[in-house]
Amino acid sequence: MALDVTEQAKPPRAVFVPFMMGHHFGVPFHQQLQRRVIVEALDLLTMAETSGTILKLPVTWADARREGIEIERQMGLRD
Amino acid sequence: MMETSNQAEQLRPGLWSTVNERYPGSMITNDTFVPLARPTKPLHDSRLSFVSTAGVQPKGSLPFDVVHPVGDYTFRRVPSTSRPSDLEIHQIKYPTSGANRDINVIFPIERLQELAADGVLGSLTPDFFSFIGYNMDPERLEREFAEEIAEAVAAEGADIVLLAPA
Repeated sequence: MALDVTEQAKPPRAVFVPFMMGHHFGVPFHQQLQRRVIVEALDLLTMAETSGTILKLPVTWADARREGIEIERQMGLRD
Repeated sequence: MMETSNQAEQLRPGLWSTVNERYPGSMITNDTFVPLARPTKPLHDSRLSFVSTAGVQPKGSLPFDVVHPVGDYTFRRVPSTSRPSDLEIHQIKYPTSGANRDINVIFPIERLQELAADGVLGSLTPDFFSFIGYNMDPERLEREFAEEIAEAVAAEGADIVLLAPA
């Protein structure tokens, strides 16, 4: 998701993840991360006190990729 | 121009202004926030729907028109019980390298099924909703197309909706 686009469109609540386009819930097979992005969004439903709240998750694309590669190794999908 | 966030925070900085300068008026810009609608039920009693611009659709449904110059203003229903192998992607405006291996990176249908099965969510709407994000007429998108989708979502009894761009 592009943060500047979100800021212009002004949704009442949004979760921002600094991930590559097309990968807003994380990386392949990283179920924990995919679930976390959803759960954070669900939590924001009740946590947000004002319209326009953007929650920036403290995650990085580099960490997500690294964890995803490790998961794929454990699954035997990668050497 | 409105000030935007620290460019280091997103992988493709300046996206809004880049696109809006090349295609003036093509990007949605709002000056005010809509009032916050608060949930009326706890999550574990709520029915969730999911709306995505990822161009995900059931195999065999009419493919989105990904080459139309002003976009495709139709949506597809994706049964919330679908398996990833039931689905395919018709969209060329974002990298699908991850989604082609695990569709949950952009359309997390299995994670939503699990959250409902675990009781975190009350239930899922029978259908989720999908369209393509390439729509060059934001007025039509906001005033007509989004309303059509919102009506369809409401008709399925959704209490809450997760929206995801691609």
